[in-house]
Amino acid sequence: MTVTRHPDTAWLMDYANGTLSRNFELVLAAHLMACPHCARELQAAERLGAELMMQGAGAAARLAPATVLAAESGTSCAWINDRPSSALEGGAVDLPSVVSKYLDCGIGALPWRRAGRGLEVARLRVTDEDRLWLVKAAPGTVLPKHSHSGSELTLVLKGAFFSGDTIYAAGDIEDADETVDHQPVVTRDGECLCLAVTDGPLRFRNWLPRLAQGYIGI
Amino acid sequence: MSHTPDARTPELAAVVPFPGDAQRQVEVEPAARETELLLRVRDARDRNAYADLFGRFASKVKGYLQRTGLNAEDAENILQDIMIAVWNKARLFDPARASARTWIYSLARNRLIDIKRAEQREYAALERYVGETAGDAVYEEDLLARAMGQNSVALLDQIPQEQARVLLMAYVEGKSHREIARELNLPIGTVKSRARLGFQRIRGILETAK
Repeated sequence: MTVTRHPDTAWLMDYANGTLSRNFELVLAAHLMACPHCARELQAAERLGAELMMQGAGAAARLAPATVLAAESGTSCAWINDRPSSALEGGAVDLPSVVSKYLDCGIGALPWRRAGRGLEVARLRVTDEDRLWLVKAAPGTVLPKHSHSGSELTLVLKGAFFSGDTIYAAGDIEDADETVDHQPVVTRDGECLCLAVTDGPLRFRNWLPRLAQGYIGI
Repeated sequence: MSHTPDARTPELAAVVPFPGDAQRQVEVEPAARETELLLRVRDARDRNAYADLFGRFASKVKGYLQRTGLNAEDAENILQDIMIAVWNKARLFDPARASARTWIYSLARNRLIDIKRAEQREYAALERYVGETAGDAVYEEDLLARAMGQNSVALLDQIPQEQARVLLMAYVEGKSHREIARELNLPIGTVKSRARLGFQRIRGILETAK
C-alpha cells in the first residue's frame, strides 16, 4: 500500500497537540499507521513542541531528583523491626515515634511523594494482600472523595481530621470499607499525619486523583 | 581595476556563517547530550545521568505545564509524575524515533491530554486568551511574552509573526486549527496555510541544525 494523499500539516499538529476529537483522531491514527510520510511529519510536529518547551521560560521546581530516585528504587529506609516492644506499651507515647521504631530512618527522611494539593504519601510496606502508608496533609487539606474496594484503617498519629460529622484525633482510628464513601478534611490548626493500611485500591470520585493513582500506586 | 572583493563575495558568503548559525549549534549540542544521558538512564540505570537530566528538564517542563494554564501546585504534581515516568519508562526510549527532549515533551503532553480528556470539559487553560486575541489586524507584541514567559524565542523569531501566532495558539494554548480560525475570525484555509508554512520553515531550521 502506497499512500499518496495526505491530510494537511495542520491536522498533524492538532494530532500532536491532542486537540482533536476522538473521532478525528481515530481517522488520522489509522492513516498514520499506513503512511510513513505523515508519521515523519508527526514526529517533526512533536519535535517543534519540544523545542518550544525548551525555549520557553522555566519555572523553578520544588521536586528534587533524589526524591524520585529514592521513591522508585524501593525505599531508602529499611524495615528493621516487626514487633518493637515499646510500640506495644500503652500510655502517653509520641505516636509518630512509634512508627519510627520500625524504620532505620526518621519519618521526614522517607521518600515522600506528592499526591495532590496539600497531600503527601510515603509507601512503607506493600505486600500481595495490602499496603501500609504514611499520609501527611497540610492544615485544612480536603482529601479527594473516595470509597474503597476493600478495607481501610487510618490511625491518626498527629493532628486531626473530620470525616462526615466525626472528628478523628491522635490515637483515633477511622474504620472505612466499601460501604463508606468519605472525604476527610484536615482541621485548620495543624498538619495531620496518619498511618493507613488498605487492602483494595481506593475508588476516587474525581479525575485528578484517579489519574495520579497509577503513578503513585495508592 | 577589478573589484576583487566583489568577485570573492559568493565564496565568502558560503564561508561566513549566517548570524543564526552559531546560536543553532549551541541549541543542538545540549539536545545530543540529553539523549546521551537518557540512554545511560535506560541502559545502565545511571542515577547521576538521571540527576543531570532532571536538572536540564524539570524547570522547563514545569514552565511548559504552567503555560498551558495549570497553576503552580498542579504543575508541580504533574511534573512529579513526568519525572518519575522518565526514570520508570526510560526502557521505552528509542533515540532513532525521537530525541530525549521530544520524548520527555511527549510524556508531558500525553499527561495533559489524559487530564484534559478525563476532565471532559474544555480545559480551563486557555480561556485566559479568549477575547484578547480577537481580530487579526495586529500581532500583539506581548502575546509571545505571555505565551512563552519571555520576550524572545529564537525559533519563532525566524518566521513571520502571523505564523508564529498560529503556532503559539496551537502549541501553548492547546487549540485546534479550527478553533484558531474561529477565534481569529479567519478562513480555515488561511490558518492551515499559516500553520503549515511556519511549521515547515522551523522544521527546515531544526533539520539543518541536526
